Amino acid sequence: MSEITYEPEADPEDVGVTEHLPATVTQKSLNTDILRMLEPPGKIWWSVFLFDLCILAVAGIALRNQIVLGLGVAGYTRPVMWAAYITNFVFWVGIAHCGTLVSAILFLFRSHFRRAVYRVAEAMTVFGVLTAGLFPLLHTGRPWLGYWLVPYPNQRNLWPNFRSPLEWDVFAVTTYLTVSSIFFIVGMIPDAAAQRDRAKDRLHRLLGFLFSFGWRGANYQWKHYYGAYLYFAAFATPLVLSVHSVVSWDFAMAQLPGWHSTIFAPYFVAGAIFSGVALVINLLIGIRKAYKLQHIVTVDHIEKLSKLVLLTSTIVGYSYLVEFFCAWYGPSKFERDLVWWRFFGHYWWASWIMFTCNVIIPLLLWSKKVRRNMTVLFVIMLFVNVGMWFERFVIIVTSLARSFNPATWVYYKMSWTEGAITAGAFAWFFMYFLLFIRLLPAFSIAEIKETLAPPMRKKPS
Amino acid sequence: MKPFQPVLDLVDRIIAGPPAKFRGVMGVFYYVDDVTAAVRTLRQTGHEDLRVYSPVPYHAVERALEQGPSIVRWVTLGGAVCGLTGGFALCIYSVHAWPLVVGGKELVSLPPFVIIGFESMILLGALANLLGMLALSRLPELKASAPYDPRFTEDRIGIWVPCAGEAAVKVQELMRGHGAEEVMLHA
Repeated sequence: MSEITYEPEADPEDVGVTEHLPATVTQKSLNTDILRMLEPPGKIWWSVFLFDLCILAVAGIALRNQIVLGLGVAGYTRPVMWAAYITNFVFWVGIAHCGTLVSAILFLFRSHFRRAVYRVAEAMTVFGVLTAGLFPLLHTGRPWLGYWLVPYPNQRNLWPNFRSPLEWDVFAVTTYLTVSSIFFIVGMIPDAAAQRDRAKDRLHRLLGFLFSFGWRGANYQWKHYYGAYLYFAAFATPLVLSVHSVVSWDFAMAQLPGWHSTIFAPYFVAGAIFSGVALVINLLIGIRKAYKLQHIVTVDHIEKLSKLVLLTSTIVGYSYLVEFFCAWYGPSKFERDLVWWRFFGHYWWASWIMFTCNVIIPLLLWSKKVRRNMTVLFVIMLFVNVGMWFERFVIIVTSLARSFNPATWVYYKMSWTEGAITAGAFAWFFMYFLLFIRLLPAFSIAEIKETLAPPMRKKPS
Repeated sequence: MKPFQPVLDLVDRIIAGPPAKFRGVMGVFYYVDDVTAAVRTLRQTGHEDLRVYSPVPYHAVERALEQGPSIVRWVTLGGAVCGLTGGFALCIYSVHAWPLVVGGKELVSLPPFVIIGFESMILLGALANLLGMLALSRLPELKASAPYDPRFTEDRIGIWVPCAGEAAVKVQELMRGHGAEEVMLHA
């Protein structure tokens, strides 16, 4: 039989995008580096995890008190009946927005830098929604009756009111939780297969087996996988914009000074992305240092994310200014009084924390040196998240505490129960996150590989 | 014997999957251009049912296989249309099921129902997209339909050609000629 000869071909178009990653990274080294995170944890991980569980236990005690004694322990002071819990709800839904932004919107825009960071952002999304979802239930005071929100008629055949923003919220948040969880799990399929194929212990092999769905990377699987992935991104993009818009309408639909505004939807969406990207930067800086992954999550990646923070900070700052302008220029004296009171009344401290952390401190990000200094960036992002928590506090509490009738004006103070449950929410979120980085690949091995030049026998000209 | 040993053995058996027998040739490659050339030649020699395993999708391989676009989008569209109509239908039905007329206004107020319709469209569309993708990709694959090598999720590419006898010998030779690092015969 004559020997078969062949002419290898190499189309320059087939060569991947090698930007953002050092040349030393190979397909094999990526598997090794990322799956190394799944090895038995060290003392630092255990210390952080146990500390986290302690905070969660304190929150559990506070929740037990609230369930036994009633919502009176939650510091609610009529008419401030939405306070820390709804602040936390909006804050965590906002945090959850970054993941879908990075994974879906940047996917549609073909921003290659997302590949190194999107899994952490998506995990943050899912755990953020899981945390946010707790608060409407805790806020009801009887969380075991939470299923009443589900759209089905009661024993008198009365349906939930679909004209109510609170019912829109149920649809928006449950859809967001479902779609972001699907997006997260689907994105992990090829990487879970890599975990299954390399895991040394039974637990990680089993998790890899379950999350990979028996994936083998066959050509027909990739074809349908990316066919579907595009549509997940296409669905998630309007969804992410709609969810926080719906959350903002919880307020904007009410005719209360400080709430009843058409600017709320874009203002809330920008704020959500702002806080979410800030937290993902915090998480990435911690993970890349702890697991020595600076060559995979590079300074370039972090810098690009910090530019997103800068952009959204300017949008949030602009929204604040529009609020001031509308109050000053508009016909409502109640609105004018409220905005003045927010910044110079009893809650001046909360408003100025909000404005300083969200508008003034992020101005430092105009400097490239700051954007590339991980320590400074970490601190700035912490300030951003403090500022964004206070933004929600200011919007919710000050409007309720000073509505139309001066006889109803009150000064709300957070109770220790609310404080403990607020801290517990952070512990709840970090509990999931700490477990996630130990049990499943925290970075997308397959997608990062796509940024590497594919191995070619004949180098392209 | 450890107390949980039977459970652990069961886990191992589930992960390993049921035993399966295959007839064909598996070639392991490193270079993408080798794979594309091998795929083209194999298809020219009549092996249209070949399968390529890779750690990432390569456009060159897709072109060599002449794969069309995925039909999952039609499944997704079906789900989205059902969600959109279902969301509106739920709202419209519910306001008629127990009519509460406020201020003499119409029961069906479409603007707020748009939100329910929109969210339902996204929800059902995404679920249909997921189910369509899983079904078309034949996932979950609990019983292997072809041999597999763990290196295919690392940095190697595999070509599986179902064949036997004289054809298998030719395929092995062809793969070696196209730069395969390993060629395994399953008979």
